[in-house]
Amino acid sequence: MSWHVSEQLVTSYVTGELQGARATSVEAHVMTCSLCRNAVNAEVSPERLRGIWSAVEDEVDAPRRSWAERVLTSFGMSDSDARLVSVAPSLHASWLLSLAAVLGFAVWASNAKSGGTALFLILAPIVPVLAVGGSYGRGIDPTFEVSVASPYPAMRLVMLRSTAVVAVSGALALVASFFVPTGGDAAAWLLPCLALLSITLVVARWFTLPIAAAGVAACYALPLLAALVNDRDVSRLLLSASLQWVALALVVGSFALLTHDPMIRSALRRNR
Amino acid sequence: MSTAAAVIELRRRFGRTQALDGATFEIGAGVTGLLGPNGAGKTTLLRILATVAAPDSGAVSVFGRDPSAAAQRVEIRRRLGYLPQDPGFQRGFSVFEFIDYVAILKEMTDRQQRHAEVRRVIDAVDLTSVSGKRVRALSGGMRRRVALASSLLGEPQFLVLDEPTAGLDPEQRLRFRELVSHAGEGRAVLLSTHQTEDVAALCQDVVVLDQGRVLFQGTPSDLSAVAAGRVWLADERVSGAELVWRTGEGRFRHLGLPPSGADLVDPTLEDGYLLLVGRFAEEAAA
Repeated sequence: MSWHVSEQLVTSYVTGELQGARATSVEAHVMTCSLCRNAVNAEVSPERLRGIWSAVEDEVDAPRRSWAERVLTSFGMSDSDARLVSVAPSLHASWLLSLAAVLGFAVWASNAKSGGTALFLILAPIVPVLAVGGSYGRGIDPTFEVSVASPYPAMRLVMLRSTAVVAVSGALALVASFFVPTGGDAAAWLLPCLALLSITLVVARWFTLPIAAAGVAACYALPLLAALVNDRDVSRLLLSASLQWVALALVVGSFALLTHDPMIRSALRRNR
Repeated sequence: MSTAAAVIELRRRFGRTQALDGATFEIGAGVTGLLGPNGAGKTTLLRILATVAAPDSGAVSVFGRDPSAAAQRVEIRRRLGYLPQDPGFQRGFSVFEFIDYVAILKEMTDRQQRHAEVRRVIDAVDLTSVSGKRVRALSGGMRRRVALASSLLGEPQFLVLDEPTAGLDPEQRLRFRELVSHAGEGRAVLLSTHQTEDVAALCQDVVVLDQGRVLFQGTPSDLSAVAAGRVWLADERVSGAELVWRTGEGRFRHLGLPPSGADLVDPTLEDGYLLLVGRFAEEAAA
């Protein structure tokens, strides 16, 4: 090595004053000369070094972001909330495929035989309800015990995950509606679905979310399926204006109960 | 002893099983061991102290706070580290990702500070070399250490550890003792275990629980003293002893009322525990 970086150049390099070709030249030299490297090291404060190292480690360790996290953060959700929401089991491909299969069967039935539309109108609203049931709870979330013992509000986690899974599963059901041969009537499941979801959240104050969702879905679907099997005209009921009014009343009533719940209010208020 | 946590007349029933039947004790700083046979109510008690479950009746206090009040429960959770008996892991997460996930649940929202804390606890359990590996690809002992690391996040003042040494090999258990002993400096640790050696090696205080009731609370040497004058060695099996087993040296170790002239030996903590639990079981059956 025939030359070394002068003290003045080292200082300008470290402070960032040295620019362009001269900075590149010093950098190339420092990479191969331990003497000058030590001179540069001596000029950099330990705090700055720690900061740089911490930033490097942070980039290296940064958890991989799933597709769900990327979508959620693009809607403005914080990185940390997006991580907690994206692990909801019902956002996993296996769950979504199962739900899509149920809807696919309902669409096929509605095209294949008379009364098939009723089957779609029974199944479509319970798909998002089941997805909510599969988003949080003992036996559903492998870290449920640890999350309950953490200070993060469980109700907030339930609300965030429910919103995300309803958006995805609801979109699936909405797409399926376009393949049902009744035109605009196929959207008649939307309001009952909203009613079932809000009732599920109310019932989840007393039962676990999976049990609340399964119970509400069963109470809605089983009597209707039984009537359908017995050749009763279920379509007329499901497409009637009165059912839509009842559903709307249930939505309003449930939301009133939910928004008066102090735990839910505090979860919604929390700005993280 | 300044009290970190206390339970008074705690009762909890699951169907026809009375898991806790009036348990009362308190714990202070340092490591407290919770010993008891299977079904003694240890996990139920720990879950109640970790604010995961609620008792049917009785009072619980952690750092003077009542977990039945929502606001106080959150305050307790902010100072709590909990390792459940059967910790689960999110599918597909690496060690770093899993602990980072738990750190978010513990309200560590600043990404850089959170990651620094995650690295600290991973280093504390000596898992830095596998930080990027998937948790489910690790051995059972390593997974246990991952869960332990997550319970150490945020330097909690009260650590509740449910059978943390289950499934660990002897070397891992020694490493674990070192960790818990370090964790117990200046904070309260409640450690449920079946391993009397861990209690003898680590704990300043022991609570023995059976059939939902506290049979004993005291120091490990107090528990050993329960068997003072009731442990003897003989060349042959002697009838009338409560427990007899053949030792590695080929002699028979007896627990119970010794015959005259018996070769009495110093009792261990395990002797005291076995006599205590055995006697209680007999009384309960009578």
